[in-house]
This record gives sequence, structure tokens and C-alpha cells, in this order.
Amino acid sequence: MEQQEKEFRLNVTRRHFLTKAGLGLGGAALGGLLFKDQFMGVDSQAAMQLGVAQFAPKAKRIIYLFQNGAPSQLETFDHKPLLNKMHGEELPASIRMGQRLTGMTSNQEKFPLVGSTFNFAQYGQSGAWVSELFPHMASIVDDLCFIKTMHTEAINHDPALTFFQTGAQQGNRPSMGAWMSYGLGSENSNLPSYCVLLSRGRGNGQGVYSKLWTNGFLDSVHQGVVFSSGEDPVLYLNNPDGHDKQSRRDMLDMLAQFNASSFENIGDPEIKTRIQQYEMSYRMQSAVPELTDFSKESNTTIKLYGPDCLVPGTYAANCLLARKLSESGVRFVQLYHQGWDTHGNLEGDMRMQAEDVDRASAGLIKDLKQRGLLDETLVIWGGEFGRTNYCQGKLTKDSYGRDHHPKCFSLWMAGGGTKPGTVYGETDEFGYNIAKDPVSVHDFHATVLHLMGINHEQLTYKHLGRRYRLTDIAGEVVQGVIA
Amino acid sequence: MMKKNQLHIQIIGSLLMLLQALMIVMSSVSLQGIPLWLQQLGHLHPVLLHLPISFIILLLPLSIIFKKGTEQERLLISYFLHYTALFATITALMGLLSAASNEYDPDLLTKHKWLSISTAVLSHALVYIHQISLHKRTAWISSVTATVMLMFVGSHFGGSLTHGEDYLSFGEKENKSKEFKPITDSTVVYNDVVQTILINKCIECHNEQKQKGELDLTSFASFQKGGKTGNAFIIGDPEQSLFIQRALLTIDDRKHMPPKGKLQLTSEEIFLFKEWTRKKADTLLTFHQIDQADTLRSIIEKIVNTKSIEKTVNQYPFSKASDDKIQSLNSPFRRIMPVDIHSPALVVKFYLKEKFSIQLLEECSAIAKQVIEINLSSMPADDGIFKHLSKFENLEKLNLNGTLISGKELSALKSNKKLESIYLANTSVGKNDLEVIGKLPSVKSVYLWNSKVTDKEAVALNQKYNQIKWDIGYVPDEKELLKLTPPSTVNAEKMILDPGELVQLKHPLPGAQIRYTIDGSAPDSMNGLLYSKPFSISGLTQINAIAVSNGWLSSNPSTFTYFLKGAKADSAVIINKPADRYRANGSITLINFNKGTPTNLNLNWLGFRDETMKAAFHFSHPIQIKQAVLSIADNTGAYVFPPQKIIVKGGNSKSSLRVIGTVSPAQPIQQRNAGIIPVTVQLAPGIYPYVEIEAINVQRLPNWHPGKKEKAWVFVDEVFFY
Repeated sequence: MEQQEKEFRLNVTRRHFLTKAGLGLGGAALGGLLFKDQFMGVDSQAAMQLGVAQFAPKAKRIIYLFQNGAPSQLETFDHKPLLNKMHGEELPASIRMGQRLTGMTSNQEKFPLVGSTFNFAQYGQSGAWVSELFPHMASIVDDLCFIKTMHTEAINHDPALTFFQTGAQQGNRPSMGAWMSYGLGSENSNLPSYCVLLSRGRGNGQGVYSKLWTNGFLDSVHQGVVFSSGEDPVLYLNNPDGHDKQSRRDMLDMLAQFNASSFENIGDPEIKTRIQQYEMSYRMQSAVPELTDFSKESNTTIKLYGPDCLVPGTYAANCLLARKLSESGVRFVQLYHQGWDTHGNLEGDMRMQAEDVDRASAGLIKDLKQRGLLDETLVIWGGEFGRTNYCQGKLTKDSYGRDHHPKCFSLWMAGGGTKPGTVYGETDEFGYNIAKDPVSVHDFHATVLHLMGINHEQLTYKHLGRRYRLTDIAGEVVQGVIA
Repeated sequence: MMKKNQLHIQIIGSLLMLLQALMIVMSSVSLQGIPLWLQQLGHLHPVLLHLPISFIILLLPLSIIFKKGTEQERLLISYFLHYTALFATITALMGLLSAASNEYDPDLLTKHKWLSISTAVLSHALVYIHQISLHKRTAWISSVTATVMLMFVGSHFGGSLTHGEDYLSFGEKENKSKEFKPITDSTVVYNDVVQTILINKCIECHNEQKQKGELDLTSFASFQKGGKTGNAFIIGDPEQSLFIQRALLTIDDRKHMPPKGKLQLTSEEIFLFKEWTRKKADTLLTFHQIDQADTLRSIIEKIVNTKSIEKTVNQYPFSKASDDKIQSLNSPFRRIMPVDIHSPALVVKFYLKEKFSIQLLEECSAIAKQVIEINLSSMPADDGIFKHLSKFENLEKLNLNGTLISGKELSALKSNKKLESIYLANTSVGKNDLEVIGKLPSVKSVYLWNSKVTDKEAVALNQKYNQIKWDIGYVPDEKELLKLTPPSTVNAEKMILDPGELVQLKHPLPGAQIRYTIDGSAPDSMNGLLYSKPFSISGLTQINAIAVSNGWLSSNPSTFTYFLKGAKADSAVIINKPADRYRANGSITLINFNKGTPTNLNLNWLGFRDETMKAAFHFSHPIQIKQAVLSIADNTGAYVFPPQKIIVKGGNSKSSLRVIGTVSPAQPIQQRNAGIIPVTVQLAPGIYPYVEIEAINVQRLPNWHPGKKEKAWVFVDEVFFY
């Protein structure tokens, strides 16, 4: 305790002191009032008022179906017949242009191009190409908006994921969901405004870490809350044996009093956060069971998402839970589905992965649509980077793999004010470089914030002497994907 | 006579003191939240302010004319000064009240406020200066001049507040903004769009007469020439073009264009400027020439069309509800949010079933005018809501998904003239209830998934009322058969049962049947035992189970291995040491009845590679045993194989051992999924106080394995005796 107090005192900065002093003296001294603005440390930058959108938002909530491990764009949505034609031939140096390689292929002597083993066809009015792996997604392409020209700065999973989630590769910044929660507040204060659901496919997997849903330097109420896949999706929510609701209430009231008095003594804002968290968990005791009880789902819903949706911890179950959370006002539901890291045995792995996600992903879109919620819910499906157009390891008759490729990859968005039935951007015919309309991760963030009614340049937080944004110093809204 | 005059002056003087004090106080505290009528009193400010302005201006000629300083003249001026100060103070007070409404530029307001208060204070001071400056005419005149000047500067900022900053600047004013012409193929990007934006947002300061920064944007030639800093743009290079750079600076930057306080460029307009510059700043480029897929096309459409949309969409025919009212209605169970920070329109959502009551909705009638969306989804709301709903005259969206309404009262929505979307998914609304909705003129979409409306009826509705989209949602294809998920056990990770403990199987799909076998054969929809209640097992048991249900394909089998706790060894001793990384809890690991998982080999497993697995077990009260069962990890990917041979020795003590059983487990022939394999060694039945088990790991991995010729691992987590 003593130690903490000491730390707290150390944290009282000159600016902090002057701010407080300015406020305290303000009532008394006219002189202070004359220069009030200087004392109150009012930010001259046009920062946004928190808790409400700056302009009428198209999307109120986000469900991000993150395909962790990076699904190959060449086996999903970016159809490149030239690769099948040139199958086995060497990647021309004029295309690669010295692009750096991962440690896994940098020692490779040959870079044989490899065409997709899966058949592609065009679907819907938009004529978007989808591979045979995703028959259900293919059936809803007219609700989807594909971006084929995403590109990123990172070449390995951890930095690329971190970059996608937080706008920086280092992992000390708040993630997208935390920024949303900070900027727009929570719709339903009985649930966290940022929830995280994890699932693991049968393909080659890469880990996920809590830094991906961190609040970074923002207040810790904005941190993502992970729902676990067992019988109790939110741990420690049930009252302990022998305690009823009233005794829990009494305990919390007493605890809140203690906390309030220690806040008065110490003034650490984290104490306030803690009080709020306890109150929310108390209300979550009612809110969460309503959502996580799948026993009353209709046969139609089960068929829509696929029978897996009844098995906790599967991607399908997480999609269904995501819809329920989102419908109940959770601002940002982040799913991670692991297993897309197809360095080898691509065909088998992709089939298993696609089988796990195809029906449920499409089902989620259809479900939101039939409830009238797709207009206000932005759904995003995609990984952290793309995969190479050449084979990793030896290209054999019945097996190939693809390495990491940051220069182009595909993702899709649906609903939330995106332009349905759109294919944005073009890659070159080798599927290696971008031919038209590149979209950087910063642009992507700026666009997502725009759809949520936030100017990405104005959602800032001052930390360590400078203002930070999700897009930091870059990012442009991609108008072409907005309806 | 004299007395009366003095009394008059004294009364005014005291009043003045009082009001000045009040003014100082009011200027120092926040006036936000004062009653509305007081704020409205502030509306007198623009009327009253003419009095002090004229009085103060008149002071100057009066002081010059009355230079003799007779008693009469001095009295007159004293009167005049008192009234000037009084009017100035009252005007300032009204000004403070009117500033409380917060609708003014804070920067200008601060300047105006303090300069004008100073004017009022100074005019008060003049009363006293006049008394002491009897023969100091220069001092007097300069004080008066100073007051006049202070007043002018202060009122200039006041004028800027209400009439705009350029109110007092001279020169031609282009107040008429130019409208965009509708887009056609022949729309010329420069003339019809770029130039129009320049006229609307830039040309006021950059025209032939008024060339701020020596820049004139009235013609293309002068635009290209640029101003004193350089060319306005560089053809084909938006990043280096000055006019775009300036627009992109933050609004607080001194060089940002258009300057703070002026109408700003939108991000679409900046995008257009950039793209047009990139496309060689071509003055002849037409809309037709822009590629179909080019974003520029949609941006131009957006710029031209939003002009009119902005006016209609964002303007609601009602004003904001007071923050207090919204605040008092907000709770964790009823959330009221504005659409955005500027919008008067409100969205109301209800949360937590157990907290819902119709009263919560009824109370919202206080903000009935402003509510454009009500979301009652999943709330236990019944037909009682409709009599309250009709009060929301501006309601556009009504979400009743999953509520308890019957549909009979939907006709009440007739009074919601602006209603566009009605969400009735998951309710018992039927087709006949919907006829009334079909006749509502403003309704555009109705969501009917999982209601009583059949897909055929939905088709009929769509034909009959085709201005509305009747959405029936997903209807499963009867012919599509989906495969069930395999059954699971209630306590999946618990693989060791006490004698008498029951095995419990389950499946999440209501009505699904489970068929299982315990003899290693594969169950199918006909064969195998039908699971009806938990059952007991004897010894090591492998259960194969599938789920079966009408309208579904049978599941793949799931396999569960159960070990029954057998004869309990009193102690175990590891003879050969396991590898450092895989020692778990040492020898007790083998008899502690804690199972490991085949993928997490660090926990509960003993792992051996350099030496064989060799351990001894001691029974203080031996009973007859016939079998030893080793629970072994199988994870070919991690080089973990079943042992090539297991040898079990038994006897009365360590020194009197004989082989009582051996087995050579089947070896994998290709990579396979990780699992746990129980290996049974049949023993010569007998009573053995001391048993020694050796599991010899594979010494050369097979050729198909990536680690061929290397040694395999062997992992054991538990040994049972039956």
C-alpha cells in the first residue's frame, strides 16, 4: 500500500498539478479565471467528444471474423488463372522486385509459381470470384464488399496481427475494439463493449495473445473481455455456493464504499474503473446467461450456422454468440479463428479450415440480414497478410504450400454501410503486386472508423507527451467501399 | 434642487456598484444550466448595446464642447457618465446571459467578453476620473478616448460573433453559393465540380479584387500561376501541390486552408482535388472519360449529390431534447443515445429481460418527439406497448424482434407516419396482421423471419404491397441433410472412473439419439446400444458413439476411453530416469489417477527417449491381478510412438522377479492424429507384491517418418492393474 501511494505521488506530474491547481483556485481568483483556458489544459486540437459518434454513423457495431494465420488469397477470392498456366515455372524477378522473404523461404533456390488446386467461379450480380471452398459465402457475394488490394508492412504473424489490431507492430497500443469502446462508449452497460471469442481450426495454427485485445494506454475498461469456450463462458460470474443475489449485492455495496474512500485518499483513476467493473459484472450475472444459453435455438438457426454451432468453442458457436452479443449492443465482437498458416499441405488444411468457417460465416451475414441488423452491423472477414504465389518447399504433384506475403491479400466486409456486391482493387495477373487501388492497414482502419461515425484524425489520446490515433499519422478513408 | 440631483446620482451610483459587482461575479462562474427565461433575457443584449455605444461615442464631443467646467456643465457630464456606465453594465450583463447558450465561437466570445467588461468597468471608472480631473483636460480627454477605442475593439468582436468574422471587412462579397449541376456524361470535372467548390469555399478571399496571398482562383490560368508561396499545384503530383498541402494541414495550423472559422473542405472534396491533379489537372476531363471502376466517379457523385442530401437527411423537424431530460431517463436497462453529436434525433434501446416493464417505455413519452428508433428486441413486451408507441410521431425504426406481441395490435402503428422499418422476426405475427402495415405509406421494409408468415405468404405480400420489402429470411432447404456433430461425454477430460461411477453421454441437439458400442465395433443408426441413461463399465473400456436424428445425417463416431481404478499400488519407483523436461511429479505420476492430454506433453506425463521407461510398483496388500494397462501417448508428429515392447515382471520382492507378461503394441504406419492409447498386458494371474514394468521405446523411427533412424519417445501417464 505504502509502495502504491508512493508510486501514485510520483505519477502526479507538473501538468497534473497545475490542472488541479487551476481548478481549485479558479473559484476564488478572478485572475486565474481570466486565463482559465491555460490552466485547465484544454486541448486546442479539435478532439472529439467521447461517447457519441461525430457524424451519423452507418455502422453501430462491428463483428470482426479474424482468420488467424492468413488464409491464402489465391485459394479464396483472388482468382489468378495465369498461375495455373505457368504452374511450376520460376517467379520472374521483375515481379518480385527484391521483396524480402521470411526465414522460411529465404534459403530456397527456386520459386516455382503454383496455381490454385481449387476451381473458381463467378457468383451473383457482382460477378465476384469465389473458390469452390466457400459455397456458402459464394451464395451471398451480393451482400459482400471484397477488398483485393490489402497490403501490410509486416511479414510475420505476430507483428502483422498486432499491426492489424492496434495500428502498430510493437504491441503497446490500444487495439481497434478498445479505441471503439473509448470513442463511442458502450451501448449496453450490462455487457463489456469489447468481447473476444477464440476458436481453433484443424489446420496449422498460430497463437493469439492478450496483447491483441489490449487497452494499451487507454483506461482498462476498454480492454477486450475473452469469453471462454467451456460451460462458463465468463469465468467467476456465478455467485459462490451459499451466496444469494442479495448477499452479493450487499458485499458489492460495501466494497464500493471502501473503494470510493480509497479513491478519495489516493485518487488513482483505476479505482474508479474497478468500481465500474464490479457493477457491470453484477449486471452481467443476468445478461450473460441469456446470451450463452444455446439450448433454445431453433432448428432453423442450427441449420443456418451448421450443427457445430451447438458445440461451445467452435467457430460456428462463436459466430452465433457474436450475433447475440452484437444484437445486445456489444460494440465490438472480435473472433479469432486459428489454423490458416498453410506453409505446407495447403490443400488438406484449406479444406478443413474452409469447412469450419464457410457455413457459419455466411450464416452470420444471413442471420443479421433477416433480423434487419446487417445495415447497422459491420462484419469483416480476413487474415493478417496474404500468401505467396510461389511454392514454399518442394513443389510436388500432390502437395504445395505458400509462404507469407504482405504485398497483397483479400478480405471482405459486409453491412454497416459498406457497398454491397463490390470488388474493390485489382492485383496483377501474378497475384503478387497491386495493380490498382491499394488499401493499407491504416486506410482500412480509417475506413472502419468512418463507418462508425468517427473521423480517424480526431479520435486521439494523449500519452507520453504526444497524441496517438489508431491510424497514427497515416490512413485515408477508402471511399470506394462505402455505400 | 441640488439635494435632489445628488440623491439621484447617489442612487444611480449605488445601483451601478451593485450591478458591476454582479457582472464581475457572473463573468467568473459558469452560467451553463441557468433557466431558459434568463437566457432569453439575454436576447435583449443586441438591442441594448446601442445605448452604451452611442453614449460612449457622445462622451467625446461632449467633453470637448463643455470645456469651461462650470458647475452646471460638470453636473450634466456626471449624469451622462453615470447613465453611460449603467447602460454599459446592463448590456454586459445581458451579454453574459446570452453567452450561456454556448452557440458562439469560444475564441471570439472570450475576447468580446473581456474587452466589453473592461469597457463597462472603465466607463464606471470615468465617473471618478471625472471628479478628480477638474483641471487636467488632457488626462480627461485621453481617458475618454481610451474608453471609446476599447469599446470599438470589443464591439468589433461582438459583431463578428453574430455576423461572421468578415462582417466588417470590405470588398465584394460572394454570398451566393453556387449549386452543382446534375451529373451527366458531359459534366466537365474542372468547370462543373472543381470550380464550383472553389467558388463556394475559396474564392471569397482569393478573387481578382481580394487576392489574399496574391492568389486568385477565378480563372484556371491564375489558379495555376498560384500566389506568393508558389504554384498552386503541380500537374500530376498532388503530394507536391500547395493547395492540397494547405488543405491537409490541421485546422489549427496557421497555414491551413480554408482558415479556421470558414466553411471547410470535406474529405471527398480533397480527394477530388487530389485525383484531378493526379489526372494531369485536365480542364477538359469529362465524367464520361473516368473509368467505370474509378473511385473518383463515386466521389464526384457523392459531392454533387450530398449537397441536397445534407439538407434533407440531417435536418429533423424538431429540436434537441434537453440533456437533463435524456440523462434522467438513461439507465443500464434503458439506453437513450443521440444519432450523433449534432443530431436532435434519439435512439432508445432496452436491455435485460428481467428489468423490463412497460412503464420504461411509457416514460419515454417525455422525449416522444425526438425518438426515431425504438429497439425492444428480446424484451418480454406484449401488445400493451402499442398504445404508447403511437405517441412517437417521428419514429422511423421499430425493432420488435423476439417480443411477445401477438400482431393483433399492429394497426396502432397507423399514427407513426414516418415509420420506415418494422422488425418482427421471432414473433407470432401472422399474415393477416400485416395487411394494415401494407397500407402504411412510409414503410419500406418489414422483417418476418421465424414469424408465423410462411414463405408462400411472404411472396404474396411482396406482390400485393410491392413498395415494401417483406423479408422472410433464411428458410432451410428440406433436401439438404447436414451431418450431426459427434456425441460428447459430460466429463470429457475425466478418463478415470471410480468403481461404480457412471459414464454419461450427451448431445446438444434436442431430440438427437446416441448409439454406442463398447466392443470396439462401429455403431450406426441401426446397430449398437441406444443410450438412454448413464451406465457403468468394468475395467478398461472404449466407447464408440454416434448421434442420430431424423432429418440429419448421422454423426462421425466419437471414441472415449475410460479407465476404471483397479488394484491400487502403494508406491511406485522410477528405475530409469525420464527426460528432464518430462518428469511431471516424479514416480507418483504413474499412480495418481491424473490423466494427461496427448497434445500437452509437459503436464502429467513421464517422457523417455535415451533410456527405456522402467518403473516398479509395490503393493502392501496384494490382490490377484490379471492385467496391467499402460496409458500411453500417441503423437507421431512429436516423435511420440507406442513402445515397441512392454515387459512386465512380478514377484514377492525386487530380487525374486520373473516375467509375467509381455506385449508388442501395433506401430503406426503413417502420421496420425494425436491420441491416448491404452495398452493392455495380459499377465499370468497371481498375487504379486512387487511388479516391475519396462516399456522399450522404438529405437529407429520408420522410413516414412521425417525423423527416420532417430529414437522415438515413449510417454506414459498412468498404470492400472486389474
